[in-house]
Amino acid sequence: MTDTELDAVYTRLCKTMTELGEPRATLFLARFALLAIDRLGDAHAAQRLIDSAAEGLAPAATDKALP
Amino acid sequence: MTYEFAPYPFEAQRHAAKLPALRAGLEERRHPVVVVGGGPVGYTTALGLASHGVPVVVIEADDSVCSGSRAICISRRSLEIADRLGALPGFLDIGLPWTGGRSFYRDTEVLHFTMPQDENQKLPPMVNLAQYSIEQILLDKAETQPDLIDIRWQTRVTGVEARDDGVRLALATPEGDYSLQADWVVAADGGRSFLREALGLKLEGTSYEGRYVIVDILLDSDRPTERLAYFDPACNPGSTVLVHKQPGNVWRIDYQLRDGEDPDAAIQPENVMPRVESLLAMMGEKGSWKPIWSGIYKANALTLPSYRAGRVLFAGDAAHLVPIFGVRGANSGIDDADNLAWKLAFVVKGLASSALLDSYSVERVAAARENLSYGTKSTEFMAPPSFGFELMRTAVLGLAKKHPSLSSLINPRQTSAITYATSPLNAAAERSAEFPAGPVPGAVLPECPLTVADGSGTREGHLTDLLGPHFTALYFSEDGAVPAELESLDRALAARQVPFELASLTRRLGASSPHGWDHTGRLFPMYGAQPGTLYLVRPDGHVLGRWRQASAAEALAAIDHALQPPVKGV
Repeated sequence: MTDTELDAVYTRLCKTMTELGEPRATLFLARFALLAIDRLGDAHAAQRLIDSAAEGLAPAATDKALP
Repeated sequence: MTYEFAPYPFEAQRHAAKLPALRAGLEERRHPVVVVGGGPVGYTTALGLASHGVPVVVIEADDSVCSGSRAICISRRSLEIADRLGALPGFLDIGLPWTGGRSFYRDTEVLHFTMPQDENQKLPPMVNLAQYSIEQILLDKAETQPDLIDIRWQTRVTGVEARDDGVRLALATPEGDYSLQADWVVAADGGRSFLREALGLKLEGTSYEGRYVIVDILLDSDRPTERLAYFDPACNPGSTVLVHKQPGNVWRIDYQLRDGEDPDAAIQPENVMPRVESLLAMMGEKGSWKPIWSGIYKANALTLPSYRAGRVLFAGDAAHLVPIFGVRGANSGIDDADNLAWKLAFVVKGLASSALLDSYSVERVAAARENLSYGTKSTEFMAPPSFGFELMRTAVLGLAKKHPSLSSLINPRQTSAITYATSPLNAAAERSAEFPAGPVPGAVLPECPLTVADGSGTREGHLTDLLGPHFTALYFSEDGAVPAELESLDRALAARQVPFELASLTRRLGASSPHGWDHTGRLFPMYGAQPGTLYLVRPDGHVLGRWRQASAAEALAAIDHALQPPVKGV
């Protein structure tokens, strides 16, 4: 994939999410993740990607503290 | 609290209005070309026309070069154009060269990019200098040719009448009003082009809502010249900040307004100065500083669908508005001017039919669309237009340090020379396809060092030094011997008065005739060339056609196809 192709895919993703609207964005990204995992066809790689994507995000504890 | 502003380290000379010889309010002389707009694009067009010996009038509404913070980065391609126009030294003397930049997310560096730079280059990939300097350098050069370039200051276009056989402009000056007639008019009158409005032409594309504040400050700092981008920095959370060093201790700062901020209030000093102060503190700049200027910017990605409206030709911001991110504004306008000048000169001199001007529009509209696609991508990253872009940007910035392949998404995609891949002028596609390497028809020449031998001695040079206000045939050979066939091409074009130069490129240092010696051995492979190879190059440095084994007949046909010269003497 060239940089220009990556740009195009990125922009398509952003635009699609915008068209669907914010309330559906999370479900859209979940569906995209599932399709990407399926296409990847490699359980270990998928596990590692899940860890990488979670790394550095604020811990869930803060959210749990909310009422 | 009041803030003390400093002036720019530049004093603009004021120029008086003057009236030409008039008869009943109409200028007596009719002009072949009038350029409206004395900015970088207007002056580059005028210098280009003058290089072909075509006289030109430049109409400028103000009494001096511009002020404030506008274009600040001049690309290698623009420098090449300035070089051909004899205006390069000013850019290199004043401009600050740079090759790359850094982007930060909060306090982490997430991208360090560099622009293409290697030992083959004559010129840096980018220099920073203020637009008033850009205009002054071009103006200084224009003023050395008063017999060809007539600059009319404090002259405003108030009316246009475009006919099939010419254009009449109504002009207002403090000395009085008058009209003039021109065969051709170049509209280089900027983003709010009067001519574009008056002719009822509409820009098409997208206007973005995100706004940036632009601040120039005076600051003594020995920090190197590079593009700095701060995403969500501690000094201005939620915003994006860009920093560029300019000559004379001027620093240009661009920062994004947050959603809901009032643009009018945002440029008030009491709102601007604390943000600058906290940015400088974050950067570790401890020197004293003073504000010079501030303004507001909103990104547009717009173009006219055609840059030719009969005898009026649009160039620069009058033709297209590209976002500032990627520095394609002035640079694409300078490229417009370079493309237009030779074509207009050839038409004025009767060497080409006016159809050549349609190729100006086709090539430069395609270039604008390419510039807009990159500019749009950069803008959507720098000023996300919706929650989707915002969310994805946060994801990219958070992942880029550990996953460097994603950092290409942060790259500002700085301007680079554009290939006119679908130009109607491109010749002999099948011949071009036979090459293993090198620039295709429509591309600009990759740079390469040469030793220039002219019989009396040798000097170091570069390939682009061979270009000028003429078609150039680059003929590759062992030692500089040129076949009789190419001599006849030279004669055929001379008979038609088509400006043409044959430049000989050799593998070995030859004895006498002028030639460029490929002393590094890099030129031949870079161009996929062998002895007998011919590249035909347009006056604007784009390849017209190329032949692994030169064919004078096909080269002549390529030039005829490009010019479609009017039939003479029937």
